Amino acid sequence: MVIGATTRQENQAVYVLHSYPFKETSLIVELFTRDFGRIAVVAKGARRPRSALRGMLQSFQSLLATWSGKQELKTLHGLEWHAGLLVLPGESLMCGFYLNELLMRLLPRDDPHEALFDEYALTLKMLATQAQDSAVILRKFELCLLQQLGYAVPLIQNIHDEVVDASKQYYYLPEVGPVSSVHVGQENGVQLSGETLLAMAQDDYSAALTQQQSKQLMRLLINYYLGDQVLHTRQLLMDLQTL
Amino acid sequence: MNSPASLEQLIAALRCLPGVGPKSAVRMAYYLLQRDRKGASALAQALDIALQVVSHCELCNTFSETPVCPMCASGKREDSMLCVVEMPTDMMLMEQTQAYNGMYYVLMGRLSPLDGIGPKEIHLDKLIKRAQDGKVQEVILATNYTVEGEATAHYISELLGKHGIRISRIARGMPMGGEIEHVDAGTLAQAMLERRGVS
Repeated sequence: MVIGATTRQENQAVYVLHSYPFKETSLIVELFTRDFGRIAVVAKGARRPRSALRGMLQSFQSLLATWSGKQELKTLHGLEWHAGLLVLPGESLMCGFYLNELLMRLLPRDDPHEALFDEYALTLKMLATQAQDSAVILRKFELCLLQQLGYAVPLIQNIHDEVVDASKQYYYLPEVGPVSSVHVGQENGVQLSGETLLAMAQDDYSAALTQQQSKQLMRLLINYYLGDQVLHTRQLLMDLQTL
Repeated sequence: MNSPASLEQLIAALRCLPGVGPKSAVRMAYYLLQRDRKGASALAQALDIALQVVSHCELCNTFSETPVCPMCASGKREDSMLCVVEMPTDMMLMEQTQAYNGMYYVLMGRLSPLDGIGPKEIHLDKLIKRAQDGKVQEVILATNYTVEGEATAHYISELLGKHGIRISRIARGMPMGGEIEHVDAGTLAQAMLERRGVS
């Protein structure tokens, strides 16, 4: 945060990522803001029955927020509807929760990422209209998230400047990229074809093989950067399958 | 200052209450022991008894002292309808409306992925079994209109739809006596999106 900056921010574009109860009638809300990154605010009285904030503090809606404060935990003063209401159909809701959980776990607080914010807004819109297969929408967001956070995800050449050949098979190692052979102890990478890597680099997920292998690759990378944090949404979907 | 071990234990135990941090716990413990020992003993007894006798109703999953709660056991309710709500308070409010005379199922929560609350935590398997008792013809989903409540309703409908049970969702839109001027934009937008024919 810039020192000496004014502490009040008016009508900033935000999305609600998550909220949890705070004291008797308030909420702590994690907001993803376009210009200030992920921030935490207290929504005072938001759990009172007649609170105007109550109905608006819903995830996946584009909002304008006004807050103030110098500390890590800021105070929310007002909210307004920004764009029109976005209705996520039932099956897209879990995808939305998954996006929010990724942002909650991987995006540090007070670190602005405008491009990522725009991609998030676009991803939600695509999930709402189901313009594409939701798996493909998620893969694109995952890749964008890692790249925007500054993690290198080399697709067309590895860190040793070896260029990927579409007809070859590769092992993908986090932080290294695709390698044609692995040493002992590196077998935990994902095996995939050069074609998949090149297709991903061009944002083309039309082939079934690309969809399948990109899923494995993104899962490997996200698990790698999450460390030992568990993704609840992933677990929840698996539990639902067993019912 | 070293507090007696049993006092420390009481303070630690009080912290299990939601919204009670270390300071409030100390305040509560001192109050109970210093100002209101009678109240403290009543609290201890009430807790003890409640823990022993209160469990979940086999049919509707709400708190009950008997295996089947009085409402489910009354025989006066329409057993072809099952209304799914999140909390016992929701059931109570629904009862106050006197608009519904069917059976209930209380989830005691909702799916909340970011808090790690999944189908196991709200015992969705129990609901699926309950809905298939052969009498239930319609399941009415009355979970909240929050994103978590919507996700919960969606997955219940997916799971029960497989079993050929009719599933409905409570309606939303303009509140009773609602004036458009004073309704928030989100509600109004929903009301427009989910408008219905009148003739």
